[in-house]
Amino acid sequence: MKGKCYIQGMAAISPQPTFEENCFSSPISFSTTNLLPCLEPDYKPFIPANSLRRMSRVLKMGLAASLKCIADSGIKVSGPIVTGTGKGSLQDTEKFLKEIVTYKETALNPTPFIQSTYNSVNGLIALQQKCTAYNNTFVHRGFSFENALLDSMMLLQEGEDHVLTGAFEEITREHFYIKSRIGFWKEEQIDSRELLSHHSPGSVAGEGAAFFMLTNQPTEKSYASITGLKLLYKPATEKLLSALQTFAPAVDAVITGRNGDSRFDHFYDTVEKYFGNTPQIPFKQLCGEYDTASAFGMWLGAHLLRAQELPQAWIGQPIAKPVNRLLLYNHFYGEQHVLIMLERV
Amino acid sequence: MAERVFITGVGMITAIGDNVTENLQQLLAQQSGLGYTRYIDTIYKDVLPVGEVKHANESLFQLAGLPPQEGLTRTTLLGLIAMREALEDAGISELNSVPAGFINASTVGGMCDTERVYFDIIDPGKEGSFLQYIDTLDCADCTQRIADIVGFSDHIATISTACSSSANALMFGARMIKQGLYSRMVCGGTEALTRFTLNGFNSLKNVDKQFCRPFDQQRTGLNLGEGAAYLVLESESFAKANNSRILGELSGYCNTNEAFHPTSPSPDGDGAFDAMRKAMEMSGIAREDVSYINVHGTATLNNDISEGKALERLFGTDVPPFSSTKPFTGHTLAAAGAIEAIYALLAIREGLIYPNLNFSEKMEELQITPVTTLMQGVAINHVISNSFGFGGNNASLVISKYEG
Repeated sequence: MKGKCYIQGMAAISPQPTFEENCFSSPISFSTTNLLPCLEPDYKPFIPANSLRRMSRVLKMGLAASLKCIADSGIKVSGPIVTGTGKGSLQDTEKFLKEIVTYKETALNPTPFIQSTYNSVNGLIALQQKCTAYNNTFVHRGFSFENALLDSMMLLQEGEDHVLTGAFEEITREHFYIKSRIGFWKEEQIDSRELLSHHSPGSVAGEGAAFFMLTNQPTEKSYASITGLKLLYKPATEKLLSALQTFAPAVDAVITGRNGDSRFDHFYDTVEKYFGNTPQIPFKQLCGEYDTASAFGMWLGAHLLRAQELPQAWIGQPIAKPVNRLLLYNHFYGEQHVLIMLERV
Repeated sequence: MAERVFITGVGMITAIGDNVTENLQQLLAQQSGLGYTRYIDTIYKDVLPVGEVKHANESLFQLAGLPPQEGLTRTTLLGLIAMREALEDAGISELNSVPAGFINASTVGGMCDTERVYFDIIDPGKEGSFLQYIDTLDCADCTQRIADIVGFSDHIATISTACSSSANALMFGARMIKQGLYSRMVCGGTEALTRFTLNGFNSLKNVDKQFCRPFDQQRTGLNLGEGAAYLVLESESFAKANNSRILGELSGYCNTNEAFHPTSPSPDGDGAFDAMRKAMEMSGIAREDVSYINVHGTATLNNDISEGKALERLFGTDVPPFSSTKPFTGHTLAAAGAIEAIYALLAIREGLIYPNLNFSEKMEELQITPVTTLMQGVAINHVISNSFGFGGNNASLVISKYEG
């Protein structure tokens, strides 16, 4: 997708204190259990207490992140809302599956069923914002956020002034166990901060919600522009290389989705080699691996482009200024690959 | 000037037939596919009617041209059968002769099979071939399995906006064509009946114990259904250069959110009104140009009031002939938008308006009633197809006759 749009506002809830002011001055939060959970904020400033009681975890994370993003953008008029989520509300899905059995299919509470539908976060945001515009939810693993981004960029090309675009994902204990049975996570328990130095099968589980207000026009407070997007499904190395060639001639750094998984590292090696000495900025040691982790990567990249710095403790290295062009490359277990070009405004 | 988007191939499987021809035959015979489940393990199997595809999974494997194997869910098999028919109907033998995208829709992915083995999956004491169903827990699984088996290697996506999912898949594919990203997109959805969804809708108290009665005063709810449908969309310039056989045009569409309630539409049908009005505006048609409306018509108390009010507000005293085909197929959720888009094309091609089965008494809130007898030999130029869902997700499509 060609075309250009601007990140006018953003917000993220992640395993790092990204929802708080001055988040970069805090030490890195980490885990030694291979499951890196979000630092959930106080939701009360965003969501009324009587609503909060009824909402499950990922709904709160998604709604709060979207509301903070809208506030951050300063845009008052609501527009289209497009999101991506690989798994939706796992907590509600698990709950309803169990209640069907426990209560033998009778007198069931419908709330977990309603909240388990993948578009429930989008519906909530629209309801809360009284927003009757376009509304869509993509549910495709490592292409969930990416298709939401594509949809949003098309909406802007079609004449929309702004689009609220986001992604949300949660990990539960139960789902962590389920995915451990098919090799998603490392067998040895590691310190998540050292994720990239553990070359072995699997990664560390993470979660998060990130939202962006995308606009057609820049302002002096725009974080970054998005100038290119390419999705590649199960590409051979040659296909990945040819996408890199047409897509990103010169970049100042690559934001890389490296996750320590030795089975699929060769894709990241290919990209690293292609860009030679270009600095590589990893982010999964901060957020863990999940379907929509690239949204966190984009949040991090946009911060870097506007502030021109990120703490060394977060990304493991100093970054030479100026940083004008960043390429985000991520793949989800070797299947869904994405390239997102971010530029300084 | 954006390209027009043409429909050049269709494929489907529902409770009333394993392909498009069988579906048409049953519509003409006014034969409902509703009945009682043979395949879901539920206490409601003799209580709540459903629109089930009349094949066990073993037989679906055969229809899909595959040997039985673990890991392929009923959702995938239904999708695969419809997909193969759509590609064949469009005359596509070599899928990668031009870059083609695949936009799928699903509400609960492979839940139909995972709900049977879920408690084994979470039990560390159990091992077995059920582990091959772990990946089928999400909505992307069916999309990728179908893509890999038939050979899509380019853009793929899965959309989940409840009952409007495949209408949104068609819209997204059409927009990608208009943006010039692809000249061919295959879009639709697949849905298999599950105990999970049946209990979900039943817990909301909107499943009818009788066969559903859309737009009837005595209606008490919907019947769930299953099925899959895909439509091949091509840009005008590509379809003409390729000499594609053009079945119709996707001339207008609109997606709105009602922002009213998580599971209920507004009583005046604001979202439905906007979706239809804007889809017609895009299509460039006036109210009198609409020959038929295939309504969402789930037969829930709220949907039919809301949708009916929207029709009366939009069309005044001249509401075009309308009917719900849900009493034929059941409500197939993520597949409904694509299934009904194909019914719209068949209505145009055959000059038909389908009867709204099981209707007997006008709703007291409305002045209008649906078409109740099969109408044949009608000139149909433009059909509106509605899909409205949970989360306030509304979608309307305008399918138009191709005039050459």
